[in-house]
Amino acid sequence: MSVISTENLTKIYNSGTTAVTALDHVNFQVQPEEFVAVMGPSGCGKSTLLHLIGGLDHPTEGQVHINGNLLTDLDDDSLTELRRRQIGFIFQFYNLIPVLSAVENAALPLLLDGMKPIEAHDRAIEWLSRFDLADRLQNRPDQLSGGQQQRVAIARALVAEPSLILADEPTGNLDTRASDEIAGLLRQVTKEWGRTVVMVTHDPRIAAYADRILFLKDGRIVDDTLLETKDGSSYDAVTAKLKEIGD
Amino acid sequence: MNFQLTLALRYLNGRKLRALLTTLAIVFGVLVVFGMNTIIPAMMRSFQANVLAASGQVDATITLKTGDVFPVAELARVASVQGVRATTGLLDRTVNLQPNYFDHDLAALDSVSALSVVGLNPNEVRNVHSYNIIAGRFLEENDTNAAVISQSLADSIGLNLGSTLTLPTAIGEQSLKIVGILPARAVPGNEEVFVTLSQTQNMFGMPDKINTIEANYDSLDETRRAEIQSSIQSTLGSEYQIGALTSNSELLTSLQLGQAMFNVLGVMGLLMGGFIIFNTFRTVVAERRRDIGMLRALGASRKSIFYIILSEGLMQGIMGTALGMVVGYGFSVLVLKLMGPAMQKFLNVRMGMPEVSLPIVLVSVGLGVGITLLAGLIPAMSASRVTPLEALRPAVGKLNFRRLAGLGFWMGAAMIALAVSTLLTRDAGLIGMGGMLFIIGLILVAPALVSPIAALFGGLASLIFARQGTVHLAQGNLSRQPARAAVTASATMIGLAILVTAASIITSASVGFERVLRKSLGSDYLLIPPSVAVWGTNVGSNPDFARELRALDGVAVVSSLRFAPAQVNDLPISLMGIDPDTYGQVSGLTFAEGDEVAAYAALKTPHSIIISPVLATSIGAKVGDEVSMLTPNGVKAYNVIAIGGDYLNAKIATGYVSQADIAADFGRTEDVLLQLNLTPTTDRAAAESAIKAVVSRYPQYRLISGQGYIDENMQLFDVAFAAMYAVLIFLAVPSLIAMLNTLVIGVIERTREIGMLRAVGATRKQVRTMIVAEAIILAAIGTAFGLLAGLFLGYTTVETLHLSGFPMEYAFPASGVLVTIAAGLLFGILAAIIPARQAARQDVVQALHYE
Repeated sequence: MSVISTENLTKIYNSGTTAVTALDHVNFQVQPEEFVAVMGPSGCGKSTLLHLIGGLDHPTEGQVHINGNLLTDLDDDSLTELRRRQIGFIFQFYNLIPVLSAVENAALPLLLDGMKPIEAHDRAIEWLSRFDLADRLQNRPDQLSGGQQQRVAIARALVAEPSLILADEPTGNLDTRASDEIAGLLRQVTKEWGRTVVMVTHDPRIAAYADRILFLKDGRIVDDTLLETKDGSSYDAVTAKLKEIGD
Repeated sequence: MNFQLTLALRYLNGRKLRALLTTLAIVFGVLVVFGMNTIIPAMMRSFQANVLAASGQVDATITLKTGDVFPVAELARVASVQGVRATTGLLDRTVNLQPNYFDHDLAALDSVSALSVVGLNPNEVRNVHSYNIIAGRFLEENDTNAAVISQSLADSIGLNLGSTLTLPTAIGEQSLKIVGILPARAVPGNEEVFVTLSQTQNMFGMPDKINTIEANYDSLDETRRAEIQSSIQSTLGSEYQIGALTSNSELLTSLQLGQAMFNVLGVMGLLMGGFIIFNTFRTVVAERRRDIGMLRALGASRKSIFYIILSEGLMQGIMGTALGMVVGYGFSVLVLKLMGPAMQKFLNVRMGMPEVSLPIVLVSVGLGVGITLLAGLIPAMSASRVTPLEALRPAVGKLNFRRLAGLGFWMGAAMIALAVSTLLTRDAGLIGMGGMLFIIGLILVAPALVSPIAALFGGLASLIFARQGTVHLAQGNLSRQPARAAVTASATMIGLAILVTAASIITSASVGFERVLRKSLGSDYLLIPPSVAVWGTNVGSNPDFARELRALDGVAVVSSLRFAPAQVNDLPISLMGIDPDTYGQVSGLTFAEGDEVAAYAALKTPHSIIISPVLATSIGAKVGDEVSMLTPNGVKAYNVIAIGGDYLNAKIATGYVSQADIAADFGRTEDVLLQLNLTPTTDRAAAESAIKAVVSRYPQYRLISGQGYIDENMQLFDVAFAAMYAVLIFLAVPSLIAMLNTLVIGVIERTREIGMLRAVGATRKQVRTMIVAEAIILAAIGTAFGLLAGLFLGYTTVETLHLSGFPMEYAFPASGVLVTIAAGLLFGILAAIIPARQAARQDVVQALHYE
């Protein structure tokens, strides 16, 4: 069973008298343990696609299935539970709670799910340790570098053992070295920990770490490419593809 | 829930200054409510302790409900009741003393400003009480001009056994030889001077009269004692009460009025605090939109978000309430300590510690925490409706507000119209409600009015800050967020509205009361007792004194007031006896209904009464009605011939009867206040000298010219104004907090815009000017609303008081309005200091990258 499946997924925004079609009858599937990058020019609908998949927004038309659950059938509470247990989010600007420590931020989804704090913290510590943050557990976000903050955010996304990770420009705010680290980490998430990752990015260097790249233009999928190498070395091929599409 | 509390606590800890400022708003409100409700009960308790002190030593203390004197023959009726072992009759009179009566030292505050003269039967009383004489002897039946006092009193006034104690009495100053000393007084209340009953009755012109019966029973069994008490009650009738005299309507009325006023002030303070909390949480939700959206994205339910925001409010409410109660208690202790000497001097009340009761604790907690929770409710609901997407795309959601503002505007306009229409009803209750409706209506229409008012004041600000170029941005900032500006203005509005309302009341009262004052006290001279607020504690003079004054050369007319405590239709009143022939020549009542000349003439008819407007409103009586008057000789019917009052009794329920009636029905011939006029051609200095010589023998009076007394009283209004402006300092705090909050959040939200301004060449001064201009415009909006609300509330309050019988007519508070405008603008400038500096100091690059 595919983790993600979309059928004629469409999103139209009405702004005054103008209607903007952000997504136009998009159909695709993502299989378990796949690492998919979504690329395209600004305004092509890649972030909108991510929001619809994650249940953060409602489609104007079409359907989204996550692990067999039709999202449009779910009410707000059910969607919320889905986000808590089956989906992990990683944002461009980390979105850590500034008044909580690293371990508290990482433990958030479990605490929201009602787990006892001690147990939640133990699991968070486990994930943070995997990301070399064992010595930063009590630091607040303003005491961490950008890369460290994003690693906390990734730990937060994984702590509830979700099957799907959605990352919206996860390296957009990082330098090259940190970006490579994060991209490599996301690869590890799929290969070592068996999760499915869908990542929106505009950076071909980062996209080159994925298994597959969906190219969007004007709200439509214009290309769906499997990469031969997944360690970042397909950068040239990705860049060429982007030029071809006209980014 | 644990996690939600943790998060709430962390957020509060992360913004300590804002949390503190917001909590202060609640502290202020709770401080006033809790503080005043511990002060006033302590005052009431101390006052009642005077009366209760003696009653604890015997099984029964029997008095008339009105506190008046009654025939000594009643003693035998009580003694005849089965189960009564011993009885004694007392005539207990409080004697207020003029300042420095004993020590004549103007520099030092008197330790004794009042005494209780207790007339007793020396043989009978020792069947009921024991008196432990430590020096000399107790009184004997045939003693004349003898007294027994306590060691503490002797020490206070520097007397010993064998010394002479002088006292003002109705028959002039009397000298009493101290024949015995009792141990120092250990219970609260006035020091007592024990004299024989016959001597006391003579000194106060009350032959064969007592005002207290003390009795001891022959049983210790509670059931039997209750039966005996019941028998005594049915023997004597319902005009008597067994226990202690607990009412003195004049002082208790004043205290209760004071308590009510401070409660209103406290609740207003809490409501302002509620606005501050509401405003703060609205901005907190705006500030944390991204965090909230993220939490929702991670799987936090709407309920979780709701409880996180509400938990923060709850914590601030609990902290603010606890702190408010602690500070309030400290405030009470300080106030009682400061008031102690004055209370002792003017009202003979020895102040104790603040009285904390469970009900007031619960009310304070309920109000403090309740209002905080209520204020946080809407922001919490708003936060729970933040969608995950709004964290990623914050520019959604303005349309809904516009719709709400439309509905709110029309509702508010309807309320304002309704409020104004209540003025036509001439009903005090409805007009009072109209005041509150007006305020709520104004708050609802405020968002829609922000833009036009901002445009008006923005234009003015542009003139002030010409060539700065950033003032139009300030105006635009406010117009873009009319809801936030309106909420901030509302908090300022309440504070300034209170100020304008108070100014209206005081200005109107001073005009109205001055008119009555000049009419009541317009004679050439007055002879006034130490306390005009509490007639029953003053010692007057017998009619001989007035006759002596009339006989002096140059004195044209002397008129007096007499007093008796009474009840009309079961309501305690002050009953004043006037001489219908002479009263109008030296003084006059101000009539609401009835003709002055006809009323005085009609008063000569027995059992006629003029009632004050306050009394008329309280019992719903009008001219021509018959009222039931409780006298020592039973209930008598009196006919209401007019409605009018004088200055001295303006605030309390008062009836005016002829001196013939007060003598016949109450046995009162004691003059408690005298007024006299000189003949027009007399030598004023010589006449005054002669008057002083006579008055010297009656030291219970202070001689003062009529104009001098009017000037003294008018000064009270100056004191009231000064106190009002002092209250402004308290009101400033919540208003400043509200404006500071709004301005700080505005700076944070416009970080990138400010960075852009600096990047394109705006100087730091221009950025500061923008913030200051915004603050001034915000303050101007709040001041405009405050003036509107305050003038309307002031008018409705004066009208309500006027309809309730107080002598008030509305006067526009010009000086109050000017002070309010100045204060409002000053608040704005002060509130702008920190945010303006913050905005001007922002690093340009960081600001441009701010998300």
